[in-house]
Amino acid sequence: MKTKKGFKIILYSISIILLLILIIIGYLYYNYRTRSGVDTEKYPYTVEYIAPDKALLNKDFNVCDENFLVQYYNSQRARYSKGKNGLRNFIISHYKNKNYTDSGYLNIRFIINCKGEAGRYVIHENSLNLEPKEFNKDLVNQLFNLTTQLKKWNPNYTYEAFRDSYMYLSYRIENGEITEILP
Amino acid sequence: MERLQKYCLSLFCLLIIFSCEKDYSKLSSEERYKLAEKVFKEGPYFYQGSPETMSRIERAIKIDSTYCDAVRELSVPYLKRGIPHLWKKNMDKAVICNPEIWQPYRGYNYLWFYRDYKKAIADFNASDTLTPNFIDAPQGHSVDYWRGIAYLGLNDYKNSIFFFNKYINKEIEESGEDWVEFTAFLYRGIAYYESNNFDEALNNFNKLMYYSKQTADGKYYKALILHKQNKREKALIYLNEAITDFNEGYFNDRPYVETLRQIYIQDLEQLKEEIMSNN
Repeated sequence: MKTKKGFKIILYSISIILLLILIIIGYLYYNYRTRSGVDTEKYPYTVEYIAPDKALLNKDFNVCDENFLVQYYNSQRARYSKGKNGLRNFIISHYKNKNYTDSGYLNIRFIINCKGEAGRYVIHENSLNLEPKEFNKDLVNQLFNLTTQLKKWNPNYTYEAFRDSYMYLSYRIENGEITEILP
Repeated sequence: MERLQKYCLSLFCLLIIFSCEKDYSKLSSEERYKLAEKVFKEGPYFYQGSPETMSRIERAIKIDSTYCDAVRELSVPYLKRGIPHLWKKNMDKAVICNPEIWQPYRGYNYLWFYRDYKKAIADFNASDTLTPNFIDAPQGHSVDYWRGIAYLGLNDYKNSIFFFNKYINKEIEESGEDWVEFTAFLYRGIAYYESNNFDEALNNFNKLMYYSKQTADGKYYKALILHKQNKREKALIYLNEAITDFNEGYFNDRPYVETLRQIYIQDLEQLKEEIMSNN
């Protein structure tokens, strides 16, 4: 009888301790997710994050530090090795308007790694009113191929080291003609 | 056993209380605004666009949706990182929230980040109606200065010069010529240069060089005009100075995006070749 009672006390004690541990974990989790306020459903990553598994031309591309990617404009900015002039000249001289009628912004975002290589591309297609739209596939393929031919970049230099950085090229297109290349 | 049930029930209630969302509707509008501002401005620093920063901004907006600074801030990382549709979605909300402040600012964004000169001008014009007794100055410059640049982007030289005149004359009247943003002289000079009014263009480039001794842009354009006027020796002097200034970093550019009519060392070298070949 005594043994049974003792067993019950131990069981209750363990239950209480477990419950308290669960409460503490729950409270800490609540603090971490809610009070510290990170909405991980809406913002699981930084807004510029490019998921490697969904990106284009990521297979043989490596970044130097997956946990520290800066922006192209940080500190000593990342640039195309032949400058903006060289970049523009290359794109404009190779691009052919094959009677496209599209207008809008074709933005190609990618990463320049610390060695100055480009990869992990993602494409955004928007109208001139900045609303999502689909461009002529041939136009998209052509500009994507040209963009990926921009091979040699000067990587970003921040905190006394070359860094991986996010970069983008925005093509403003009016009736199939490139009218601006930004940034 | 009975006690244990009571403890469990109490703890369960505590958990419910902790996990409930705060009800901000009981606060006065002033209290909500102050709290939203506190949440928005305080707290540990995280990178722009990080989950922590974006969530904090969202939390401030949730407390007070009329705290428009936070509404606008949500758009910024998308602007700088080349994600247009998400910038627009958030920026438009800021304009609805407070058009007096954020409509001219949206115009500034259209001007530089999207090179949509017509939309930029429409937003700058709207600010004239929204604040009829006040000339707005998004990002530190008058909307007249920005309109001068936007019309130059459209190659509408007449309107470009009109708005640069308006901006420059107002600055001179209120504070003195040395208070004029010197790129206004550069861009007004370019507007005259591209409309083949070389005399007025030179007046502006000279003014620019007076206030900014080292300016690759001013000297480059002056060299261009002198070259067109067959003044080879003088053109070369200015061009060589322009190259020196350029190499020392004294040229017109912008953070984040290329500026309008940005010059590059290749432009200067090409002009030098042209001048030299006309020997």
